Amino acid sequence: MLRLYAESAKCSGCRACLVACSLNLFQENNPKKAALAILAHFPTPGTYEVKVCTQCGECAAVCPTGAIKQNARGAYYVDFAECTLCEACVPVCPENVMFVRAELAPAAWKCDLCGDCVAVCGTDVLRIGEIEAKA
Amino acid sequence: MNGYGGNILRVNLTTGKIAKEPTPPELARDFLGGRGFGAYFLFQEVPQGADPLGPENKLIISSGPLSGLLIPGAGKCDFACKSPLTGGYAGASLGGHLTAEIKYAGLDSIILEGISPKPVYLFIDDDRIELRDAASLWGKGAITVEKALKDQLGEEFQIACVGPGAENGVRYAHINHDYGRQAGRGGVGTVMGAKKVKALAIRGTRAIPVADLDAYRRAARNLYDACKQSELLKPWQNLGTTMVVSWCDEVGALPTRNFSAGSFEGGKTLYGPVMREQIVVTDKGCFGCPSPCGKYSRTKRYGTNVEGPEYETIGMIGSNLGIANIEDVAQINFLCDEWGVDTISAGGAIAWAMECYEKGILTKAETGGLDLKFGNVEAVLTLIPQIAKREGLGALLAEGTRRAARALGKGSEKFAIEVKGMEQSAYATHSATAMLLAYMTADVGAHHNRAWAITYDLQVGRELVNADKVARVIWLQHIRPMFDTLGACRLQWVELNIDLELYPPALAAITGVERSWRDLELVSERIWNLTRMYWVREVPGFGRAWDMPPQRFYAEPPKTGVTAGKITSLDDVNKLLDLYYEQRGWDANGLPKPETLKRLGLDKLVA
Amino acid sequence: MSARLHALGILKAYLGGKNEVVVETGNTVRETIRALDIPPEIVALVLVNDTPQSKEYRVQDGDVVTLMAVVGGG
Repeated sequence: MLRLYAESAKCSGCRACLVACSLNLFQENNPKKAALAILAHFPTPGTYEVKVCTQCGECAAVCPTGAIKQNARGAYYVDFAECTLCEACVPVCPENVMFVRAELAPAAWKCDLCGDCVAVCGTDVLRIGEIEAKA
Repeated sequence: MNGYGGNILRVNLTTGKIAKEPTPPELARDFLGGRGFGAYFLFQEVPQGADPLGPENKLIISSGPLSGLLIPGAGKCDFACKSPLTGGYAGASLGGHLTAEIKYAGLDSIILEGISPKPVYLFIDDDRIELRDAASLWGKGAITVEKALKDQLGEEFQIACVGPGAENGVRYAHINHDYGRQAGRGGVGTVMGAKKVKALAIRGTRAIPVADLDAYRRAARNLYDACKQSELLKPWQNLGTTMVVSWCDEVGALPTRNFSAGSFEGGKTLYGPVMREQIVVTDKGCFGCPSPCGKYSRTKRYGTNVEGPEYETIGMIGSNLGIANIEDVAQINFLCDEWGVDTISAGGAIAWAMECYEKGILTKAETGGLDLKFGNVEAVLTLIPQIAKREGLGALLAEGTRRAARALGKGSEKFAIEVKGMEQSAYATHSATAMLLAYMTADVGAHHNRAWAITYDLQVGRELVNADKVARVIWLQHIRPMFDTLGACRLQWVELNIDLELYPPALAAITGVERSWRDLELVSERIWNLTRMYWVREVPGFGRAWDMPPQRFYAEPPKTGVTAGKITSLDDVNKLLDLYYEQRGWDANGLPKPETLKRLGLDKLVA
Repeated sequence: MSARLHALGILKAYLGGKNEVVVETGNTVRETIRALDIPPEIVALVLVNDTPQSKEYRVQDGDVVTLMAVVGGG
């Protein structure tokens, strides 16, 4: 099983990953519709924090319509046609990377582990790797 | 229109009227965006003879067709207006994330017109656009205001704001964004302050349309792959522009004590690796940048955070003021950011004042008791707020070096280091003729953004004056500003050495219009001649004299450092200009010839 | 006893387009690059085993010396 990992200390806040993500999920240039998040902590302490999906599956477990499914890579993704925007998935996400913004998209969205964000990150923040067993 | 936000937003601050108009396709065709749009609207719409600080001047804020897209460093925003510092064209480039947000809000340019009766900030949330009261923000520092607006409106809003320096009419006030990125030069912040606009706050949630999505994604990936595969990436990420400090010191290009020399005996403690080790906290990049040059720092001595200092600031308020401690430079940088003044011009003006003081032209009575010797950190820390508030000696220095030297006289004009009224940025050019010409002819005044040629000088012979050198400067003056026209950063090309030919396929996929570099260079040449004609129109008697360098660079060889005893002769300065005018199709006085304007399709516009 | 020298970017041209050459040890970086006909003043950054060093650093056995020019400033 694979997931996305982020090393926040290396992030420079450029958001190329967000645009790449929106291009994959929605075929749009729109970082507001990305499935990962960069939190900027400025002016103090002056650091970035990257939030990514751990593929924990909590969202799928609570989805009443079964719209959150697993793809060939084992990643949970939202089947847009079956999502009813009930938002049940949002509060259970431990990383706050389950997104519902009805004004932007007619379905919830999340990381489907396409890897496009990794490809454009110039500072090696992001990587896809095996999910490590919990200690 | 593919690749564009699609609209020009006009905000009349006098009347409060806010209106959008579609971006004209022929404007995109002839001037592309960014710097091109800024130069066009300035020339076309600001009436001849307008007071830079009056209601007729406009502040034109423009993104480009690459801005906000998946293109390395597509975060460049152009600010144009009539300059309160020089009286001519001001075009300042801002990094960060503002330009992307302008596009996501469906805009290409924002044009601020008139003067607001009271302090306001411009609020843009997609189609909801309002002028909001800014009474509680007026008088506050730029970093403070950005934080306050982000706390109030949310992190998704991008903020650009001015500090007290702009409110008080310092002629080189900047516009701050993203906690330490600035549109720094030429007083674009001064114009925003004169219009009583404290800030812009903008959020856009729309997608930017592109012509061929698949081709665009492939071209974008090729660009990112080239950057990531560059061997130059890691060292550049590590040091950013501070990589240059040690090298400039070694080759005699590091401005030292008001450009009296090019090597600084205290330079070693300002070098990039020293700074990295001592104060850098985080690498900070602009939108879409794989090679962040921004170094966000925290000083132990002062307990403050600041983006930078980057090379220009280290040169201008470090070595050029005789200051050898990187924490001190970072703190002065922080004060400039918060109080809202350009570090380059502030450094230039203070260096001039220090030389005046050491020569007895300014007395301790005139400095308000400050012992304004080179290297006096406390004096500089005191002066920055004084400049921003126009108090004491600060009132004189707020006018910029040229005006200050003319007001003071007593021979101080001879060491006013400026061209066209703009303080020279941080490359000493006693013996580097291509770089000297770059400063002489840059279309905003003595700024390095348009052409940067010191390595070239060193490769071919720093004292050489010939047509090839001049052609190199002109070529750079077309290629480098083209990035500011497209709304992306040049440094992936410049510093990572990626192939320029990777850009046209991306631009074509995005806009649906095929344009070669030859075509893009022609657009750049058009813009260059238009900004030249703006100077001709606005400055009575404008011509060759305005392209002359400070006397120091042809009459006063440095006494110390590797360039000691070396200087470009006045004859060579004139030869440089002759060659330059000839290659540009300008007359002997530096005015574009009618046939040049016609060839570039400018004859009707400038008629 | 030898070290490797890498030239990046525009400096590659001085190595006849090669990425890497083997250099002698015991000389300073400045002497080494002069011997290769690279003008020392266009080399902006010297990394030895990925650590910035001055041109007076004496090259040791097994070192990887990387040279970088600055093309564009800010």
